[in-house]
Amino acid sequence: MILRLGGGLEFLCQLDVSDGKILLASLGLVWPQAVTSCTISFFLYFFLSFSEASQRQLEVSRSFADLRSRVKAESLVFSLTDSALFIWPNKSFQASLDDVDESTACGELLQYHLFLFFPPITCSSQPVVNLRFMMEITEPTEPSAPCLYRENKKHHCIRMVLPMDCVVTVRSDETFGSALSTQLSEMEAVTLRHMKDTDVPVPRPFHFSLPTSTELVTIVYPASVDDKGLESFRKELHNRFELPDDRPYFRRSNAFHFPDEPYKDGYLRNPHNHLNHPNIEGAKPYLVQGVYSYHHYMQDRMDDNGWGCAYRSLQTICSWFRQQGYMERTVPTHKEIQQALVDVGDKPAAFVGSRQWIGSIEVQAVLSHLLGVTSKILFVSQGSELPSQGRELANHFLTEGTPVMIGGGVLAHTILGVAWSETSGQIRFLILDPHYTGGEDLQTITDKGWCGWKGPEFWDQNAYYNLCLPQRPKAI
Amino acid sequence: MGRTYVADDTVQKYLSSLHTAGGVCITGLLIGQLSLQRDYVLLSTKTPHRDSDGPGEGHSSSGLLDDADLEWATEHAKQVSQMLPGGMSVLGVFLIVPPELSKEAPSTLRRLVFAIEKHISKGRLWDLTEEDITERVTLQICSKTKKALCRSFDIKDPKSSAKPADWKYQPVSSSSWPLVTCTVALDLQISLPLKSLDDICIKEGLRSWANRIKAAVCLINGKLVADESELVPGQVRDSVGLLWFCDNVYQLILSLEDMGSSAVTQCCRSFISIRGAVHCRAYLQPNKPRAKHAVEAIRKDLMNTVSCRVNMLMEDLLMNEFNDQGVMTGVQPLPHRVFVALPASDFRLCDYVFPDESIADVAERLHEMLDSRVTEESIDSSLEPTHGTHTHTHTHTLLTIHIWYNSCYLDKNLFFICLGLLLAAGIAFLAMAASLIFITRLQ
Repeated sequence: MILRLGGGLEFLCQLDVSDGKILLASLGLVWPQAVTSCTISFFLYFFLSFSEASQRQLEVSRSFADLRSRVKAESLVFSLTDSALFIWPNKSFQASLDDVDESTACGELLQYHLFLFFPPITCSSQPVVNLRFMMEITEPTEPSAPCLYRENKKHHCIRMVLPMDCVVTVRSDETFGSALSTQLSEMEAVTLRHMKDTDVPVPRPFHFSLPTSTELVTIVYPASVDDKGLESFRKELHNRFELPDDRPYFRRSNAFHFPDEPYKDGYLRNPHNHLNHPNIEGAKPYLVQGVYSYHHYMQDRMDDNGWGCAYRSLQTICSWFRQQGYMERTVPTHKEIQQALVDVGDKPAAFVGSRQWIGSIEVQAVLSHLLGVTSKILFVSQGSELPSQGRELANHFLTEGTPVMIGGGVLAHTILGVAWSETSGQIRFLILDPHYTGGEDLQTITDKGWCGWKGPEFWDQNAYYNLCLPQRPKAI
Repeated sequence: MGRTYVADDTVQKYLSSLHTAGGVCITGLLIGQLSLQRDYVLLSTKTPHRDSDGPGEGHSSSGLLDDADLEWATEHAKQVSQMLPGGMSVLGVFLIVPPELSKEAPSTLRRLVFAIEKHISKGRLWDLTEEDITERVTLQICSKTKKALCRSFDIKDPKSSAKPADWKYQPVSSSSWPLVTCTVALDLQISLPLKSLDDICIKEGLRSWANRIKAAVCLINGKLVADESELVPGQVRDSVGLLWFCDNVYQLILSLEDMGSSAVTQCCRSFISIRGAVHCRAYLQPNKPRAKHAVEAIRKDLMNTVSCRVNMLMEDLLMNEFNDQGVMTGVQPLPHRVFVALPASDFRLCDYVFPDESIADVAERLHEMLDSRVTEESIDSSLEPTHGTHTHTHTHTLLTIHIWYNSCYLDKNLFFICLGLLLAAGIAFLAMAASLIFITRLQ
């Protein structure tokens, strides 16, 4: 079960106000200590006091330290979203509902939801308990007379709302309070590293699910730096977590998707997860790795019924690359695909806006031009020979794991996996059919076989088929 | 079907005690509580005498009140409204006229009541909603016959006409009015950008703070209570296990939504930080108050007391600046809130005391504004803390050193640090060498 704590913390920092006073005071306080530290501080005082940038960094650090002490205060309150439960974690776990205290199992917290969100059939349905943190302003522990403090000095003022997002797994000993504190320290590190003069980026946490660990890993990225600029940082992370260097795990699009958050674009994700594997003796399933979205006829108010199947298959493949973090741009529209083909010289300018079909070769060209992805082309002279490509396809899904576009006869489809037996050669194909014209109804799509396992008889036995097998780029 | 105004007997006594000399009329305020069924008038006070060299009070060619009188009356109303705890407000005005001027009385009353409402709501951090009662009362009393004519106006509609209303006297006691209190910690940070005006920025800062207060969650006795549920007095078990009634405990909890905003860096010329604890107090309607009334009353009183104090302090400081005492910097205490029970009633009103004022000044002010004598003993200044540590952002503590020694972020200055260390080592070595040579020389 995942316990997720979120909320905004206001960050306010005044730069260029202290004017060297910090260092002077530090010098004074350091004096009673060892002589060596005095000499060091003496020299550092001279060098650092000339450096405006380090002054600013100290001031930013101070503001973060203030925030850290604030989250340790007794006035911190956690509220369970959509419920009447409020918890004071720093005040010996006082709670607003009588039967909740420190010993309450976190799983029991779910029952206090006033209305539970039931996600529509999730594959790994981990319940997510969302907590928001807040501050109580009544009954202060050390009330002091109200005062107004004013400083009339020209300075820069930085104001931002830090988007806190901590994940705590139930088994760990880490308390929420220390999780918030740790995240603030990470945000401080990111802010100081990417601070330019007086501009600071908003540090935003992302959660990643890694194959080498069971728990979610949280990394803070600065909002103003795009994925390309963070490549060296990602290399460090790959080393730290002992992950292979050839596929991305830490791009923003690789962020873990919480089961209770609906996807904003409305496309279905991985409908094949709701299917049962075919029951063939000795056959092992080799499936697409990762997340893709289902693109089909009539979506996006585009009537491509009868001619757009290959385009839709290409869109499904692009959606895979986007969600695995290889592509930052959006999934291309039909026009953008056609324009790409014109740009590479494969088609005349009149192609754009037409209703002409494309095939595997064109899919390969577009993937290469728009995404920089190379693809292998497999050719089968007869549909009846497709089962013999079982080993090739199984290998593809094992190593690359990308969806495969297959075009032949008059139709194009997407192959998401095979169930292949090495001994008997029996094979079933997991097909995603772009010819579906209905709405995003998972039940219909799985029941009616628009996403389903098909046997070798599915293919036109006499037609020739071209398969486009996109290769994963070696990048992080 | 007009509104019913129930006035306390003390109000009747006070109104009948006011005498007018000659053709002079007396204006004044009616103070009390608005509620859905009926309104309660708890206090009345006449407009204090204005020392003016102009024409005699009340007479002018433009009706019973000239503009200066009107301004004076509205200013008095604003000062009085700042002395009221939550739940109580200026309900309307009364006018005692001699019979020969009674024809102009209605229009004067109308002018007065709209002007007062406009002046009171200026600078207020909250706006009237649909749930608020917008009727205000005007009472016209003939000085000879003592006959009272009561009408009400809807101040939300500038074109509204007078509606007849009931006016009756009845003893009213404060014990049936539930009291809501709490102490709230303030923490406002206002930055003043380079090319901006002080008062606009402060108003903006107060408004954004008020928006957070309006969105805050309020727990009653530690629990989230539905809006429409009735407010029951709190219950607590003592050590023996007996159940006692106690005052409800109200807790306000603020949260900040992450709107995905970006960091804003501004070049500012000044910043203001307001910190400390304020005491909020409000009276609720006696007839089955709901949880939402209590929450609204606390919120409004909190916003009123903070905006009132900040405005008072800023005005005071502005006057000091004009008197060439220089622009204010550093820590300035906000006026302190004291509570006082008026002799004739049980309700406690409040006033704000600057640090250089004394309790006697408060008594004097109450006499002037509310026309009643209070003893200094009845003024309670203990509800708010009067001192405390002023922790503001630029006190230099050991925390800074901690950051300094632990900081590994000073990449740019790594070179300087190494240089410094090298020089320090060099000097230490030289010092050691020099002292050795010196010692050997001595020997």
